[in-house]
Amino acid sequence: MTKSSLQSRFTSSLFILPYLLSFCAFLLIPILYGVYISFHNFELLSDSHEFVGLDNYIQIFTPGTYLFEQFTVGLWNTLQFVIYSVPLLVILGLALAMLLNAIPGRIRGLFRTFYFMPYAISGSVMAVIWLMMFDTNAGFLNGLLASLHIDPVAWLTDLPWVWVSLVLTTLWWTIGFNMIIFVNALNEVPEDYYEAASIDGANAWRKFVNITLPSIRPVMLFIIITSTIASFNVYAQPFLLTRGGPGDSTRVLLMNVLDEAFKGKQVGSASAMAILMAIIIIVISAVQYKIAYGRKE
Amino acid sequence: MKKIVLLAFAVILAVLFLLPLIWMVSTSFKNDFEALAGQMNLIPVKPTLDNYIEGLKGELMNVPITRWITNSLFVGAAGTAIVLLFSSMAAFALARLQDLPLRKLMFPMFVGSMMIPGVLTFLPMYMEFNALGLINTYAALILPYSSGAFGVFLLYQFFASFPKEIEEAARIDGANKWQIYARILLPASVSIMVTLAIFTFMGIYNDFVWPLYATTSPEMRTITAGIAMMAQGSYTQAYGKLMAMTVIATLPVLIIFIIGQRSFVKAITQAGVK
Repeated sequence: MTKSSLQSRFTSSLFILPYLLSFCAFLLIPILYGVYISFHNFELLSDSHEFVGLDNYIQIFTPGTYLFEQFTVGLWNTLQFVIYSVPLLVILGLALAMLLNAIPGRIRGLFRTFYFMPYAISGSVMAVIWLMMFDTNAGFLNGLLASLHIDPVAWLTDLPWVWVSLVLTTLWWTIGFNMIIFVNALNEVPEDYYEAASIDGANAWRKFVNITLPSIRPVMLFIIITSTIASFNVYAQPFLLTRGGPGDSTRVLLMNVLDEAFKGKQVGSASAMAILMAIIIIVISAVQYKIAYGRKE
Repeated sequence: MKKIVLLAFAVILAVLFLLPLIWMVSTSFKNDFEALAGQMNLIPVKPTLDNYIEGLKGELMNVPITRWITNSLFVGAAGTAIVLLFSSMAAFALARLQDLPLRKLMFPMFVGSMMIPGVLTFLPMYMEFNALGLINTYAALILPYSSGAFGVFLLYQFFASFPKEIEEAARIDGANKWQIYARILLPASVSIMVTLAIFTFMGIYNDFVWPLYATTSPEMRTITAGIAMMAQGSYTQAYGKLMAMTVIATLPVLIIFIIGQRSFVKAITQAGVK
């Protein structure tokens, strides 16, 4: 290799260096360090970190242990949230996108802004706004019910209302994102398809099933996967609105992971839980991807 | 007729979407007594600016709101600047510099990293900053965001489609790589950089979980982490005061969102389509 080409490669490397260092420091090393921590009895405030091998993982899989409870209860609550929220996020996201497309062009932008605006707000701000809206005595929703002579609802403390509240806030906060992606996909369906179908006498429903749905299939898959991942990572809503209650019924997995680390000071077992949670998320998105694309080929 | 029904429905939905925000603003002008009375009046009976005045004087619930908002704006701006610099340099190298070692390996690795759930890195990153004694510093609040691959991915697509002829002409004129990057590619990518900047700033500004755990003293909190603290504390029912705080917290991102909505939409659809 000549000296000048070596120098050229060195200069090229300098361009990638800052990002590569950041990538290693805040992504690659933490992942490896997390695996290391999960093999230890790692306490937050102590310097002695005893190696325990797979012990943390074994406990998570052993019924009756504290970690088993934390993990399975958290996972079950998270799964419930995924099941309640994802279908609505996808279906209503698409419905909202189709509604938006039916609005006359001149004012469409305005409505898009309205529906999308909550997405621009921080999770903590969103939660505080809804703490007020859901307040049993002073909240807007119960005030509305009272004016209709309906008894107040304990939105944030009673089952099944806690789930209704969590799903409602999630829809309000994030559905705009799905809407935007769907609008983009709907606009890319060639207009000729619909015209040809009209000539053949297809009604609106047939056009939707035979043209729209197949055309937006890849985007639909993207939305299903991103919504599932987002719902799996749910935190702000149960953490700040229901505080995991009533009892443990809305304590989601991420809450248990962070509490195990920061309240229980057990970073080792918390890391093992975090790694298992990450694996579950990755496996579920991979399976969804496989199902959707496996059928197509 | 069908059009009118649809439009009416769209208007009702818009009101539902905006209602919590309107109610937030309305409540922020009420005193705590009125805010807790559970009345449905949108216009406060006794409108007051006290919540804002106290807030800006740092007397609102004894928390330094002005410090929090300053922290948020500083962390957001610094984080965004670093992301723009690092991502544009990396994307330039990956898209344009054929002799970059391990080029074919790095790009898929970066793109693939976007699939990694945050829960995997959260605790070890905390332990890393803790070991370095950097918890409760601006470094901890800013640096982690620079590892995101979205910017590299977005700019790579733009740089890769940039016409080769212009770059070659510059090279014949004796321009080196730094000059091509700084004087040709960067000026041509202002619009996509603005898109990335808006997207990144909003992401950093709105994140509250990492700053909540990565800070320990009140004066280091960002506004979103501070609000999360308040929501857990004993002030949860001081709605007038809380809403003044959330209005202050929301104003910067909402202004950026409304002005830069077009760019923001472009960023997420770019990510969505690929």
